[in-house]
Amino acid sequence: MQNWIEAFYVIDFISVGILLTAVSMNAVSRLETCVKVYTLNSLLLSLLIAIVATIIGEAHLYAASIITMLGKGILIPLFLWKIVKQMKVTHEVEPYISNTLSLSISGILVAVVYASLKEGIFVTGFAKNVFQISLAVILIGLFIMISRRKAITQIIGLLFMENGLFLAGFSLTFGMPMVIELGVLFDMLMGVIILGFFAVQIRKAFRSSDLDKLTVLKG
Amino acid sequence: METESLFFIGVLCFLSAAALSLLPMPKVRSFNYILSTVGAIIFAATGLNLMTGSPEILFSSPLNSMMDFVYRGDALSGFFVIVISILTCAVSIYSIGYSKDVGRAALMGVLYNVFILSMYAVVLSGNIVTFLISWETMSVVSYFLVTFSRDEKSVKAGLVYAVMTHLGTAFIIAVFMILYKYTGSMDFSGMKEFSARIPLHLKDLIFVFSIIGFGTKAGIIPLHTWLPRAHPAAPSNISALMSGVMIKTGIYGFIRVSMDIVGSGPEWWGMVIVVVGAVSSVLGVMYALMEHDLKRLLAYHSVENIGIILLGVGASMVFMSGGFYKLSAIALIAGLYHTLNHAVFKGLLFLGAGAVLHTAKTRNMEELGGLLKVMPYTGLFFLIGSISICALPPFNGFVSEWLTFQSMLIGFRSSSAISKILLPLCGAALALTGALAAACFVKAFGISFLGMPRSGHAEHAREASFSMKTGMAFLALLCLLFGIFPGAVVSVISPASFLLTGSYGMEASGPGVLRIGETLSALSPLALLVTMVIMSFATMVFIRIAGGKRRTEHRDSWDCGMPALTPRMQYSAAAFTKPIRLIFKKIYMPTREVKISYLLKPFFVKAIEYRGEITPFFEQYIYSPVTDFIHKHAGKIRLLQSGSLHLYLGYILITLIALLVFGT
Amino acid sequence: MEALQFIIILIFSPMLQGLIKKFKANMQGRLGPGIFQTYYDLARLLKKDMVVSNVTSWIFRATPYIVFISTLAASMIVPVITAQYPFVAVSDVIALIYIFGLARFFMALAGLDAGTAFGGEGSSREMTVAVLVEPMMVLSIFTAAISAGSTNLAMIAKTQNIFYSPSHVLAFSAFIVAVIAETGRIPVDNPDTHLELTMIHEGMLLEYSGRYLALMEWAHYMKQMLLFTIAVDIFFPFGIVAGALGITGFAASFGIYTGKMLFMCFLMALIESTRAKMRFFQLPSLLGGAFVLSALSLLIYIMMGR
Repeated sequence: MQNWIEAFYVIDFISVGILLTAVSMNAVSRLETCVKVYTLNSLLLSLLIAIVATIIGEAHLYAASIITMLGKGILIPLFLWKIVKQMKVTHEVEPYISNTLSLSISGILVAVVYASLKEGIFVTGFAKNVFQISLAVILIGLFIMISRRKAITQIIGLLFMENGLFLAGFSLTFGMPMVIELGVLFDMLMGVIILGFFAVQIRKAFRSSDLDKLTVLKG
Repeated sequence: METESLFFIGVLCFLSAAALSLLPMPKVRSFNYILSTVGAIIFAATGLNLMTGSPEILFSSPLNSMMDFVYRGDALSGFFVIVISILTCAVSIYSIGYSKDVGRAALMGVLYNVFILSMYAVVLSGNIVTFLISWETMSVVSYFLVTFSRDEKSVKAGLVYAVMTHLGTAFIIAVFMILYKYTGSMDFSGMKEFSARIPLHLKDLIFVFSIIGFGTKAGIIPLHTWLPRAHPAAPSNISALMSGVMIKTGIYGFIRVSMDIVGSGPEWWGMVIVVVGAVSSVLGVMYALMEHDLKRLLAYHSVENIGIILLGVGASMVFMSGGFYKLSAIALIAGLYHTLNHAVFKGLLFLGAGAVLHTAKTRNMEELGGLLKVMPYTGLFFLIGSISICALPPFNGFVSEWLTFQSMLIGFRSSSAISKILLPLCGAALALTGALAAACFVKAFGISFLGMPRSGHAEHAREASFSMKTGMAFLALLCLLFGIFPGAVVSVISPASFLLTGSYGMEASGPGVLRIGETLSALSPLALLVTMVIMSFATMVFIRIAGGKRRTEHRDSWDCGMPALTPRMQYSAAAFTKPIRLIFKKIYMPTREVKISYLLKPFFVKAIEYRGEITPFFEQYIYSPVTDFIHKHAGKIRLLQSGSLHLYLGYILITLIALLVFGT
Repeated sequence: MEALQFIIILIFSPMLQGLIKKFKANMQGRLGPGIFQTYYDLARLLKKDMVVSNVTSWIFRATPYIVFISTLAASMIVPVITAQYPFVAVSDVIALIYIFGLARFFMALAGLDAGTAFGGEGSSREMTVAVLVEPMMVLSIFTAAISAGSTNLAMIAKTQNIFYSPSHVLAFSAFIVAVIAETGRIPVDNPDTHLELTMIHEGMLLEYSGRYLALMEWAHYMKQMLLFTIAVDIFFPFGIVAGALGITGFAASFGIYTGKMLFMCFLMALIESTRAKMRFFQLPSLLGGAFVLSALSLLIYIMMGR
């Protein structure tokens, strides 16, 4: 089992897959596809944890993998799906930055992460690549939050950041204690639900889910 | 013959050519260009001697106890002397025919010869004083040449040129002052010897100032604004010299100061140069693409090619600072090779454009067309120049661009993380540049020389005179030779790169082959050419056997069954570049204006007037705010110049006191 | 013997085009023309008289030969079934791109030569697409070249394994987009129509007839097969013979090569059948995305060291 994992560098492929799904968020304009991409990202994350679990054979990692899959791969996407259906918005209309440009910017973000972490990095081995990729995913998530208009894409950006953080923590320590992970997951779930309700309410109040409209609230 | 005496004879040739052109006999006068051709050949021999031999002092005479007037040559200056000589040779032959119709032939002859001599003087200068005097002579003479036609446009272009070039000179003087202060020597060789005494942060300052100072002359973006104005304004033979070699003196000065005198610096120096090169090459060619004035288009291409040269030079600096001397030599050879090539093909293209302008009386592509039928030779030479500048095999641009690609690729071997990413990405920028250049020259050649004539001028054009054709043919031949014998060219260049990097970079492997041991890559344009020639015969034979003898009918172009096509229905230069204008609209910021006049609104249209322009970013957002600011505040400075003699005397007093207090 | 491997490309390239058409027809539930139809077309064109516009110059008449010969020369330096052949030292991949560039340059000039709007339109669009494709193509090749330490195609083919790292997969996907754009296939160009709104390559060839057209078409088929071969050489070169070519080596290598070419044809047909032609001004987002993909492949290569 371990042999073929090392021979085909499965971890590399999966971590690059995680990065690619994050990058491709910048090119996606349909909200449903956004949710799908996020689902894929979470599933890849849980797969990565499962594979590392088989390598080092720690039981709590299997649990973490399953929780990630259930929580982020199924529960949150289902809820997001519901919100998207409720909002009756299918497209991200006119993002602030054109798709090609935001793709390029996320490419630059990856380069920045690499260049700044090249020297004096404190993790080694496969974890080094995973750590770099996780930081890149965090930055891209933040960038998605900056560059998109809709509340729902903002939530997804936040979720990508959280996935990145989870991956970063995982690459440094092979997972935090179970209680903390469960707590974070629960927080996320609650956060998404609340934000979802907010988004729906914003849409009701302003007849638009553009966050630009929030600027009229200030006194 | 000795290098020293060759140098004297060469100088004498140009001086007597200048004197000859002052003679009142028009027949004899045009011989001055023959003399300058001879002078160029003698200088080429000087340059070759300098490249193969050791550095030597060519001329030295003391001005006063402190400074000398020194001309001194080494392999680097020898290389630039050769570049200048090659182009001068061709342009002088061309000028015999060309100068007949320019008018004021005497003035032209004098300025022409002095201009060339001053360029030689710049690259052969041995110390600060000589360099600055030669540099200023070059600038002033070229200013007169830019304003030669004396019309309003060229005078304005001359003004912009004069301002920009003096701005650059100010920075160059600052560089030399810092160098002198810390090394205590005015000689370039002395400064190099003691360059270790310069504090590090001042080295950085020297580097930045020399980019600005020499970069202005070379025309890097954003200091390029004078270039597309000044080069087209000058007579075409002068444009060829300015674009082909004068801007290279900027490259020479930069290499001399930042690589030779100061020695290798930190890695970011090289990276800055690489980025400047990439930006200049991409933006230069993008602006060139939107230009429909043949000579302005070529001038913008000079910006692009300076960028490509700087990519090589910058990569060389990156490798140098990492201690990779062999890689550094390869990259520097790429830069210098492109310097040589650009001189040849850009000279050729400007001469071709000059021949077109000469007979068609317009530089606007939208009024040309179908010239290949009436000017077959000029058309062929312009085509060869176009293929070369687009870096297509088997001509010369291809070889140097390939070398530059290789240097970008081996950037992966450099030590720091940033340059590992930066250099290959700049390789992609180079690919973009190459593709844009190809689009640009398909437009330039296709619209001006192919299709149907778009105006009476183009219809009644005639072939250039014999001497003009000879000058162009010489350069076209060199384009091919430098392309198919890269090994020979590199063996000539490598002493210059050895001087700066201490390595020859590439193993010699025959004149027709170029081999880079570091990447196991090789190139043989000669073999490619031979293969293609053999294959073309084989193809013709095959076609004849397979298809038999067939008739060819000559008919009108396909016109969809309408009555015959008119020239106005052809694709225009503006239409050709429209997709690129729209795709890169973030860079071009195009504006359009459509005026429709109706016979009967809204169905019967009488005429539609379309005007599309791009926003010249640097002029509009950098230069005009600065000039506006200066205009606004210049009035206040006038207070200083009140007209009162007493006040002026007061200034002198204050200056003297200040000097006494701070100078000691 | 090894020097003659380019003949494979010369002879089989029209069949490849026929195969793609056949695959495509089958996917769409049609019978489609036979795979030898392209040969019949070429033979018929060679035997036809020509009509040449009297606006044109010698550029128009020289272009078919230049395009055909430069493509032929390109095919001579590409390793097809063996990586040891006389031109191996100069099988440089950057040089190859520029040889294609030469062919494209003349093709675009020929488009402008007849003075029709169709030709100009074709040239203009072709050069625009080239502008968008070239950086991406070079960058994806750079990834492979850096990992092989050389731009020599035979050297890359000898040192690469099949898809051994993520950077390779990304570079391959970017390269496939480049191949689609370079061969003028859907979604970039539509090879089957002569509608002025969609045509790029056909626009430039509009004035050609008879043997000139045959040469241009044949060169196009060869370029397509060459690009497939380059993709195969760079990204999954297993099975290519590294040493001298014996009879068994030839048979095995040729068999594997055939399989790989069939795969590429199938891939192209699949993409063509499942995608719709894009609007011309939407191309930048496709090709720009592919550029980011190739840049990421380079980054990931540098980041992971493989």
